[in-house]
Amino acid sequence: MSAREKIKKEWKSTDYELIVMALLGVLFLFVFAYLPMYGITLAFKDGDGKINVLRTLFYGEWIGFDNFKAFFMDEKFYQVLRNTLGLNLLMLVIEFPAPILLALSINEVMHKPYKKVVQSISIFPHFLSWTIFGGIILAVSNVNTGVINPVLEVFGLSSPDKPVNLATGEYIWWLIILSSLIKSTGWGSIIYLTAITGIDPALYEAAEIDGAARFAKMRHITLPSIMPTITLFFILRLSNMLDNSFEQFYVFQNGANLTRSEVLSTYIWKMSIGSSDRRFSYSSALGLFNSVIGFILLLIGNLTSKKLTGKGVF
Amino acid sequence: MKKNQAGSGRRQRMLPFDYINYILLGALVLIAFYPMWYVLICSFNEGPDFMAGGIWILPRKFTTLNYHIVFGDAKLWHAFFVTVMKTLIGTFTGLLFTSVVAYSMSRNELKYRNVFYWVNMFTMFFGGGLVPYYLIIRATGLYDSFLVYIIPAMYSVYNMIVISTFFRGIPNDLHEAAIIDGAGEFVTLFTVYLPLAKPILATVGLWLAVGHWNGYFGTMVYTDGGNLTTLQYYLLQLIKQTTAPDNMDAESMEKIVSETVSYAAMVVATIPILCVYPFLQRFFTKGIALGSLKG
Repeated sequence: MSAREKIKKEWKSTDYELIVMALLGVLFLFVFAYLPMYGITLAFKDGDGKINVLRTLFYGEWIGFDNFKAFFMDEKFYQVLRNTLGLNLLMLVIEFPAPILLALSINEVMHKPYKKVVQSISIFPHFLSWTIFGGIILAVSNVNTGVINPVLEVFGLSSPDKPVNLATGEYIWWLIILSSLIKSTGWGSIIYLTAITGIDPALYEAAEIDGAARFAKMRHITLPSIMPTITLFFILRLSNMLDNSFEQFYVFQNGANLTRSEVLSTYIWKMSIGSSDRRFSYSSALGLFNSVIGFILLLIGNLTSKKLTGKGVF
Repeated sequence: MKKNQAGSGRRQRMLPFDYINYILLGALVLIAFYPMWYVLICSFNEGPDFMAGGIWILPRKFTTLNYHIVFGDAKLWHAFFVTVMKTLIGTFTGLLFTSVVAYSMSRNELKYRNVFYWVNMFTMFFGGGLVPYYLIIRATGLYDSFLVYIIPAMYSVYNMIVISTFFRGIPNDLHEAAIIDGAGEFVTLFTVYLPLAKPILATVGLWLAVGHWNGYFGTMVYTDGGNLTTLQYYLLQLIKQTTAPDNMDAESMEKIVSETVSYAAMVVATIPILCVYPFLQRFFTKGIALGSLKG
């Protein structure tokens, strides 16, 4: 009896049950993850405007990098790329430290009820959809009826005859970043607060005996203690920097700001599914480009964190 | 006041630093809170009066007319119904399917466990992107059917890992006892493991439910809208003013404007989230701690 047959003989009914369970997951992933991966080949075929794109996907001729060349030649692509990278980098720089600062600040609050109120209100926007939250931000910043202009007028930054319209291309980046900041900072602080709670109190006591002041303790105990968490989340943040942003950006887009608010995720949709041109191959190529950039960012993040802290995700 | 304790110190008295910190936090909270408050008060204000601007703290000309329009809007009710069904069914099937796979992956005796593990992990790092995924949705016939909300959302590797980590924490004696009693793996999962896994099922269930409730991308990309329009997608159209409630006729137009009506609709859509918010805070936070354990 070969070893293979021997193993087969030893299979119990429970083994088959477990395999069936695991295969359910494989079946799902085959259809919804691995088949789409094969679909990437569409980026190297000519399926633009075809009615039966699937036919092209399976039987179409290879055309090399023509689709990629096409968008590299397109001026619009550079505009979208600038928006995508610019917005995401700004969001990273501004949004990443915010929850850490908030957690440090909340941690210093002595009154429990106040702490609770601060947390409850700051976390809440995280659970609102981008439709609702985007709608709220657009309402507050509306040029005619909103409250932002009157506030800016107080500081002399706006005037009734020349009001600031935050939904236009000139300011839309800041409106998007502001909204993102309000929506995610409270939520993001939870993880750091949890990490801070895990710090051994003896460390603080020892520091107090040594006469450390509040900021000294923050700098020399709290921050180093939560550094692993910070590193991990920085890499995670980098790795998904370019995806999951469709719903967020699309809400803010309008005709007057599109040159500054169009990002890769929305552009890909608009070129293919959301348009009558149905440029499926062109968009697949853009999608692949997007993934590659995302992957490079992940590698850069990992490398940076290894250089700075000696630790990375892989 | 006596029980107070602060993270990096054990002082009882407020120092100038504390006052500044409290005031700064208060200001931040106000920035997070005010926009929501603003939309709430405007939704209770007469439309034409709202257009004149200047409503900041309380409604100026109070009315519930906006809400009458919203509650009388058949399209909104339909979208609401679709969303509730999508959330309930999607959460249930998602939990069930993911738990079954998670259970098998949590068992060391699963044959070819390593292969299964990598088949799952690979998809966490690589994907096909929007267009190929869309083509699959088309090819499977899911496009523009209610099932497009349910089936593609049934499984996620991340949730599988979270649930299976929890299963691994359950003492193996329980599993052995069940198997010796003649129960198969499916029976063991449903009678022993799932009842014990309630906390994690609540956490993952809330993740799924909030995702189902809040998303509009699925409606926009994988359906033609129409009958399958979800609440969030309908709200999006209201906000972008590409649609308006049917009962906003010429007569009522004198008293209302689309802005305040859409604000009222936004408030109504927020109420369910507000109702489950205490649970969300409790279980979501738990989930975050779990997620960080993995890292």
